[in-house]
Amino acid sequence: MDSICQSLAEIVGESHVSNRPEELYVYSRDLGTAEPHLPQYVVSPRTTEEVQQVVKLANREKIPVVPLGGGLTLAGLVMPLKGGIVLDMKRMDSILEVNERARYVLVEAGVSQGKLVAYLDRHHPNLVHSEPGAPGQATVAGNVAIHGQGDLAQPYGFNSDMVNGLEVVLPTGEVCRIGSCSLGQQWFTQHPLPDLGLFLGWCGTTGIITKVSLRLFPRKRIRDMGVFVLEDGDLVPDILYRISHTEMAGDLIAWSQELPVTVSGLHNISIFISGDSEEEMELKRKLIRVGILGEYIRSGTGGLIGLSANVRPRLPRRPPVSTIQDIKKGGGFEYVGAIMPVDTYPECCRRGADISARHDIAYTLLGRVIGRSHAMMFSWSYVFNRADEDSVREAREALYESDDLALELGGIPWKPGVYGQRAVMERMDPNTLSLMKKVKELLDPNGIMNPGNWEVS
Amino acid sequence: MDIVVAVKQVPDTSEVVDVIKIDASGKDIERGTLVSKINEWDEYALEEALQWKQKLGGTVTAVAAGPGEWDDTLRRALAMGADRAVRVDEDATVIDCSAVARTLAALIRRLPYDLVVFGAQSEDFGSAQLGPMVAEMLGIPHAALVIRLQVEEGEAHVERELEGGTRELYTLRLPALLTIQTGINRPRYVSFASVRKAREKELSVMSLDELGLSPEALTPAVELDRLELVPAGKRAQLLSGSAEEAAAKLAEILRDSGVI
Amino acid sequence: MALTEYKYSDVIHRCFRCGYCKFPTSFVEVNNCPAYARYRLESYSTGGRLWLIRAWLNDELDWSEHLGEIVYSCAACKNCAEQCPLPFSGDIVDMIVAAKGEMVERGSIPSAVKEFLENVDRQGNPYGTARSKRGEWMEGTDIEEYRGQEFLYYVGCVGSYDTRAQQAARALGRVLQKGGVSFGVLGNKENCDGNDVGKLGEAGLFEALAEENVRQFKDLGVRRIVTLSPHAFNAIKNDYPRLDSAFEVLHYTQLLRDLVRARKLDVSSGFNAKLTYHDPCFLGRWNMEYEAPREVLRTIPGVELVEMERHRADALCCGGGGGNFYTDFLGGSEDSPSRIRARDACATGASVVATACPNCLTMLEDAVKAEGLDDRLKVMDISEIVSEACPPKGN
Repeated sequence: MDSICQSLAEIVGESHVSNRPEELYVYSRDLGTAEPHLPQYVVSPRTTEEVQQVVKLANREKIPVVPLGGGLTLAGLVMPLKGGIVLDMKRMDSILEVNERARYVLVEAGVSQGKLVAYLDRHHPNLVHSEPGAPGQATVAGNVAIHGQGDLAQPYGFNSDMVNGLEVVLPTGEVCRIGSCSLGQQWFTQHPLPDLGLFLGWCGTTGIITKVSLRLFPRKRIRDMGVFVLEDGDLVPDILYRISHTEMAGDLIAWSQELPVTVSGLHNISIFISGDSEEEMELKRKLIRVGILGEYIRSGTGGLIGLSANVRPRLPRRPPVSTIQDIKKGGGFEYVGAIMPVDTYPECCRRGADISARHDIAYTLLGRVIGRSHAMMFSWSYVFNRADEDSVREAREALYESDDLALELGGIPWKPGVYGQRAVMERMDPNTLSLMKKVKELLDPNGIMNPGNWEVS
Repeated sequence: MDIVVAVKQVPDTSEVVDVIKIDASGKDIERGTLVSKINEWDEYALEEALQWKQKLGGTVTAVAAGPGEWDDTLRRALAMGADRAVRVDEDATVIDCSAVARTLAALIRRLPYDLVVFGAQSEDFGSAQLGPMVAEMLGIPHAALVIRLQVEEGEAHVERELEGGTRELYTLRLPALLTIQTGINRPRYVSFASVRKAREKELSVMSLDELGLSPEALTPAVELDRLELVPAGKRAQLLSGSAEEAAAKLAEILRDSGVI
Repeated sequence: MALTEYKYSDVIHRCFRCGYCKFPTSFVEVNNCPAYARYRLESYSTGGRLWLIRAWLNDELDWSEHLGEIVYSCAACKNCAEQCPLPFSGDIVDMIVAAKGEMVERGSIPSAVKEFLENVDRQGNPYGTARSKRGEWMEGTDIEEYRGQEFLYYVGCVGSYDTRAQQAARALGRVLQKGGVSFGVLGNKENCDGNDVGKLGEAGLFEALAEENVRQFKDLGVRRIVTLSPHAFNAIKNDYPRLDSAFEVLHYTQLLRDLVRARKLDVSSGFNAKLTYHDPCFLGRWNMEYEAPREVLRTIPGVELVEMERHRADALCCGGGGGNFYTDFLGGSEDSPSRIRARDACATGASVVATACPNCLTMLEDAVKAEGLDDRLKVMDISEIVSEACPPKGN
């Protein structure tokens, strides 16, 4: 054990530090196509104080620190690009408080999406959070740190818009509380205090989130879904716009896949609704099915499966269990998500199918509506065979092309890897870029927080 | 580099100390219910020899002076990686080290060797004399209780373990003989399947006759009078109180008795 | 063995490390994998372990004590196989066992595992205690030797040698007698069932043990076997060659259930307690027997059965499988799975946690003490609970 390892062991306990080849190997590898980058140490803290001490040590020794949640961003954002310490936050997984009246939950950064769903289900069954649809080990803090979205996106927006407060450890080691909690009040609001949007969307480059207060929303007793199927993708934006006008739907996702063969060439719109009574459900169903979709159905443009009182669809599990990564029997999966104008959906699909075809990957395209059609998170997904270098390379190239495509079509890559980050920064307003740099330098003078990501040159 | 390793098979008495009985003759233990195994020190010696073979190339030959049952241990040595094994057929109850030493020396003289390794002592009689005796008979230098070994360019650099953690460092010119202390390495596991596969390797058996040794030449210089069991102690003390209190009392007892 | 020779070389790269293997079905806790619970490092989760195995077989990583310990910290509990959504999920534990097998053949295994295996080879049990002492648990009982009775009562190594588990072995003997079952035991002639030897990757030794045992059963004319331990039940039922003899094997809770249903076992003295039942992995997830033990418990007057949050297929392993009751790679911390499980049991408000496996019995008993919960939570084997519920003979 070298002296830094020794000091880290003194902070978190010996069994929660490792510089052994096995831990370094596992933590050097992202689940996507990113090349491996070895950390020097893996540390798993339990308390905010331990995080502070690690960060202070990192500043003294000028070693990078990279916080890690579930590791499911898949874009290589948790890779120690410049070595250093990977801080596995998942031991900090206590659910601290649920305030039913103010509808929020206060969690430690490492609480997994799965644990939160199960907890609310059990103890507060009339409240839900916006669950992102990632495998259950994804963390709540990781998700807000990257501006994630979940199954409440269409009514309520980005998950990062649902944050009432944060506790963060600054790159220089101080602990800050952002929002009403900073006055010792309940964690129920960020406004009206001055905006301190210095951590959401910064992907762990400006500090380490240690607590999140997340808004919860009403959970109705009945949940139903329908899938509207049509061939003409050009009609999709309009349908989404009109459904979001009704304010009756929950999650609203348009998707198009080459596999299974039965859905190839089609566009699907998954529409989720919920209600406390059959009356409420029927009203919502009618407004959507009859009011909006009726004309398309009558003209034979599309067909609807579900959203009727006597059909009980099988709803996906929350959080879902997916097997998409095994399509090429290769255990590899990565996607470019981008925040796109909803109107770009048809072109995103056309060009996306083309990229997929050229790289010999079945196209898997999806757009989740955020807000009242204010935007959508559009994803171009690529499966690959981890054991086949050529397959990995094809997927990686397809991903780069997708990053470029998103920008070309007028959108912004969401949580991009280094390639996409550079593409974004190249196009960014130079003053804004310069402001980003100032903020980063102010908060992180030694440049230790997840260096290499979102680095303004 | 050619290495010869001497091994012995002993009864497994580690977990059965309280079931050992003296046999009718009064000069041996009842072996009927006991399982046998490789002498623990010899396992370390074998492992050391095999590791040096892996590093420097060459051969490892396992040798033993004992009865047919000892082929089990030699097969195990072959399964671990020894190239060949030779057993001199001999009655194992001869405990006179000089007689055994003469037998092994006669055998080893016929083999090519740069290094000869023995375990530092045996689990059954524990005299620790065999290795040094054989070295004298072969006329080669030896070091006993070796806890660390480095071989390079015709020399063995060894650390010997003394009391209280003290170490002595020696350099011996090869050929030399070393007796190996436990803890020098971590002996590899020998799988069931590999022991079965080791049946393909050479295990030859020689008689004393073939080595040119007459029974007279092996007349023991030491004769065992009798074996006795140590009488079981009758003192038992029950420590009462909480876990912390009992632990404190125990620590005191151990300290007072000089154990710690 | 290069990666290409490894039995599962076509699937091992297909693990995505999505992490479902860490959870139970309900997602209620992220520590349902006993090794991940203990260490909370990705290397100890199933996904991490599979990636490390692949890297080692592919020569990207050298063998080390630490790698050996990571691979051998797998308790073979099958939570991962239960939760993984991919088509090869049923093979996951076998993939890890195959990797252990490769370590065994190369001779590179942790010392505690080496001791375990050598002890079984020499003395027929992992503790290394003399074969001649295997039958000592019977002293003071009038349990008979097997000479053709209807059932062979197979005790196993933990039940024969561990002092706490011996109490369960004796209790079961009493219960079988009370139930009028014709049975006998092998005593000193019983040999290790080999289940854990197999799960430690020593296939050669397992096969030898299995063949010897089957030959012994055949020579004695054994037709029906009842086991104390689910480990023995699993090995004999699923992995033993039958040669040319047919015999039936039951775990004791299944036999007790049958006796209770046929009204052959009187449990009218009852057992007054709120109790919770801990599903053993080798009875539960490995053999899908979740009901028989519960049925037995429910028929006892006075028993109020409450379930832990994670039960049946979601049960958290006590951490004793895969040889860990001896090698102890998962012990020594409040994060040890046995201690988490003790806390789970306490949270139900039960005053007794019932086990149906001698490994679970000893692991949980130690854990309850380590947690300082022994004043309000007792660990008892179902055999002991039923024994107490049987009225004494005569007055």
